[in-house]
Amino acid sequence: MGDMKTPQQGMTRRDFLVRSTVVAGSGFLSIGLPGLASKDAAAAGTAAFTPSIWFTMTPDGKTTMHIVKAEMGQHIGTGLAQVIADELEVKWADVRLDTPLESVANFAVYGLAYTVNSGSITTEFDRIARAGAAGRMALIEAGAKVLGVDAGGCYAKDSRVVQKSTGKSVTYGEILQKVTIDKKFAYPADFKSIALKSRDQYSLIGKSVASLDVPAKTNGKAKYGIDVFLPNMVYGALVIPRTRYSSKVVSVDDSEAKKIPGFIKAVKIEEAMGKCTGWVVAIADKYPTAVKAAKVLKVKYDAGPYAALDTPALLAQYKDLAKNEKESAAWVLEGDVDKGFSEAEKTLEMEYTTDMICHATMEPLNCTVQMTNGEWHVHIGTQSTSFARMTLTGYLATVLKKKPEDLKVFVHQYLVGGGFGGKQDYDDILAAAWCVKEVGRPVKLIHTRESNFATSFARTPTYHKLKAGIRDGKLVSMNQDIVCGWMGARFGVGKKYGSDWLQLDSVDGKSQDIDQWSIGGSDHWYEVKNHRVRAWNHETTTWAVQASALRTVSNSYNIFVVESFMDEVAHAAGRDPLEFRLSMLNGKGGNRGIPNTGYPPGTPSDYYMDRLWISLPWASENSWPSYESATVGGALRLANCLRVAAGKAGWGTRRLPPNTGLGIAVTAAEERQSPTWVAGIAEVTVDPATGSYSINRLTIAMDPGIVVNPKNVDAQIRGSALWGASQIMSERLTLKNGGFEQSNFHQYQPIRLAQVPEIDVTIIASDHHPSGVGEPASTIVAPAVANAIYNAVGARVRHMPIAPEAVLEAIKKAKA
Amino acid sequence: MPQLSINGQSYFTDSPPDSPLLWVIREDLRLTGTKFGCGGGYCGSCTVHINGQPVRSCMVKLGDVDSNAVITTIEGLDPSDAHPVQRAWIEHEVPQCGYCQSGQIMQAAALLAVNPNPTTDEIVQHMNGNLCRCATYSRMVTAIHRAAQLAKEA
Ligand code: FES
Ligand code: FES
Repeated sequence: MGDMKTPQQGMTRRDFLVRSTVVAGSGFLSIGLPGLASKDAAAAGTAAFTPSIWFTMTPDGKTTMHIVKAEMGQHIGTGLAQVIADELEVKWADVRLDTPLESVANFAVYGLAYTVNSGSITTEFDRIARAGAAGRMALIEAGAKVLGVDAGGCYAKDSRVVQKSTGKSVTYGEILQKVTIDKKFAYPADFKSIALKSRDQYSLIGKSVASLDVPAKTNGKAKYGIDVFLPNMVYGALVIPRTRYSSKVVSVDDSEAKKIPGFIKAVKIEEAMGKCTGWVVAIADKYPTAVKAAKVLKVKYDAGPYAALDTPALLAQYKDLAKNEKESAAWVLEGDVDKGFSEAEKTLEMEYTTDMICHATMEPLNCTVQMTNGEWHVHIGTQSTSFARMTLTGYLATVLKKKPEDLKVFVHQYLVGGGFGGKQDYDDILAAAWCVKEVGRPVKLIHTRESNFATSFARTPTYHKLKAGIRDGKLVSMNQDIVCGWMGARFGVGKKYGSDWLQLDSVDGKSQDIDQWSIGGSDHWYEVKNHRVRAWNHETTTWAVQASALRTVSNSYNIFVVESFMDEVAHAAGRDPLEFRLSMLNGKGGNRGIPNTGYPPGTPSDYYMDRLWISLPWASENSWPSYESATVGGALRLANCLRVAAGKAGWGTRRLPPNTGLGIAVTAAEERQSPTWVAGIAEVTVDPATGSYSINRLTIAMDPGIVVNPKNVDAQIRGSALWGASQIMSERLTLKNGGFEQSNFHQYQPIRLAQVPEIDVTIIASDHHPSGVGEPASTIVAPAVANAIYNAVGARVRHMPIAPEAVLEAIKKAKA
Repeated sequence: MPQLSINGQSYFTDSPPDSPLLWVIREDLRLTGTKFGCGGGYCGSCTVHINGQPVRSCMVKLGDVDSNAVITTIEGLDPSDAHPVQRAWIEHEVPQCGYCQSGQIMQAAALLAVNPNPTTDEIVQHMNGNLCRCATYSRMVTAIHRAAQLAKEA
């Protein structure tokens, strides 16, 4: 990653440039901001000054929005385009989308192409709205010139500039053909002058316009990475060692494979940067032949340090580790927890555990790589478009012993057949590139479902110890201890792993890093006077299972644990779980959120900039000071969601069938700095004879701030709620002898249609800064279901997923 | 060289007879709308019609396909991509990532061909073998009911 901190030529990267050229009667308008000064850009010899472009308008009236965010089901291109088009006042029918090629030069123009954390709208909204508004203002000025009237008396609507008093008008296309636009909006001086629309002036934002990517997904025309063909291409299928990580290939016997017509070669992948450990690829002229050959290749391995590991052994080690306080580091430290416990009338201590799950995207990992004219071309649908290029450059530099600046690498981005965090890795790209080097032809590498499972980047198993102190029916002190693998380590998060970005220093003076991606979610929004969260990195897990980010990252287990435990505390305190929660979601102290700093006009506070979750060095330079923090309103907005969901679900008022209960959970995932407020109620019926249970209904209320496209937000909430249902009911990945036990969908079971409950979604749109909607609702379902099971039959299960056997056992325990 | 009749056209392939039909369709004939999800009959992404029946093409060997078999893939479901199921799918914006959707649509179209008025229970039973990791499930049920209606209006 380059050094992107130097502003260029007196410009800062928050300036906007609106430019058009008139060439032989045709015009061309682009709007952007000065480029990031990256080492990459310098290496490529690109000009130090390059505009970063969001859209291009041509004189035929068409406006093409350049979308670098991966399209993987969120319809993000449509959402981003709606924001720009609304402010730009361009006709929606004239809007087109394209996906820029990822290259050194284009990186400097379009910025970082990386799609994670439900962050696309929340990080881009303010900036692109302003880009659109700046474009509109420049067009009004130019249009007034064409009309020979005063710009002050003109407005823009439907790709036209209109004089208010006379109705005289000129189209954007005509303007571009007649005058040159060259306008700069400097930051911060000109920012107050960029007039954003007020919410009641929106014509596209807030409308469920039809998503532009949908039709091609109904007729086979949509192109995913797996649909790529290149001339002279061959196929690769993987032979994966028994252990997930760190095996070494000792020998490869291809005598059987050689008997298969069409088999070309067995390629042992050159390992570098800890990737592709023990990988061998069978290359053939057809994919089924490659798969057949992969099955008969006899590979001998040195199985490495993790060969004996299994899930129960890991859990036993976690419990031991949690006894060693010295190895921990605190992430939350408020008040004096131990004093709080000593003053409590009653304490409650519980252990929770969670199993691994994996992404299991419907499109298995795949990529196609070509080397031609000294250029490396990667064809793939990935969440990490820019990093894929950078990582392959680094890999090739290492294994080919070349200088990175001498390598030309390009990434062609396609649709992503499901992401969920599972498509931000590079091993397959590196392996395919090495195969290309070995066979001298383009290679399409496709995982079988089996090799895809075997190389999963798993959500870490976790162990939690919780303690609550109750006094006067109130939660006065709370401690959560968490042991797990660090999920950011593979991305270099943490000083120990190569960088000092994202990881947080411990707040109790310990030298260990805290990985926000493994602990987040434990820092809840309830007012608890004394609150501590301590964490331990179980480093063996980190590497052995290649622990990694998966939809909501650590919220995925921490919300299950925190919200289950909150119910336990409420019951122990003799209080109703709803009323108990509301009393603590009071928006006091640190839970009030960061108040609106009055921007626009003005600038956001340094405090806010510093505390943005995107405080990564590369992202903060590439990020944008939105006019307010998504935290504004704080816990009060969460309480509001809870009241709505509880009311709609009939909490405390409905007569429920036998063995049926309601359960509550709330979340402010994704990060404390970028919360989306969500509350959910699950209605669950349990069969007390077998412990099996069904989710009848989920009632969900979300306040994500401004809603750009309600239909798409609704779809995201439903999809993520079912992701949550899936992970509590049936998804479970386990480790045995260092490898994952599940190999296909008969053993690893995502939710199917027959298990789908009724879902009641309420979107509480507000005029606050928008936050992400693709993930948070997935976190509340598991705890709401666990709490509902308890309320139905008195059985408390402190493990995720919840198997019927565990419910049955808990029923027996409750009766005993 | 085996000959296949797909979407009303004849295709030849040099793939060996033990090749799964899925890969022949996708990679040899480049009808990439049919998707690979699991290779084991668990997900339904690879669903095509053989003589009108929904079939998991990953589980059919090329050599076992009758030379008279009429094969239809998503590309050939309707000459103008306007089968009632496709229209209903667009109207209700069923797809998210879209990867499973060709298989879902082929599975749904096969249901309506034999049962023009399916109940929700019948839909659930018929569609339960098709996985969707984005969980677009409830919109699919709505869209199938809508497609049944559209088919009647036509
Ligand atoms: S790919 Fe054929 S059923 Fe999954
Ligand atoms: S739409 Fe993504 S898997 Fe179904």
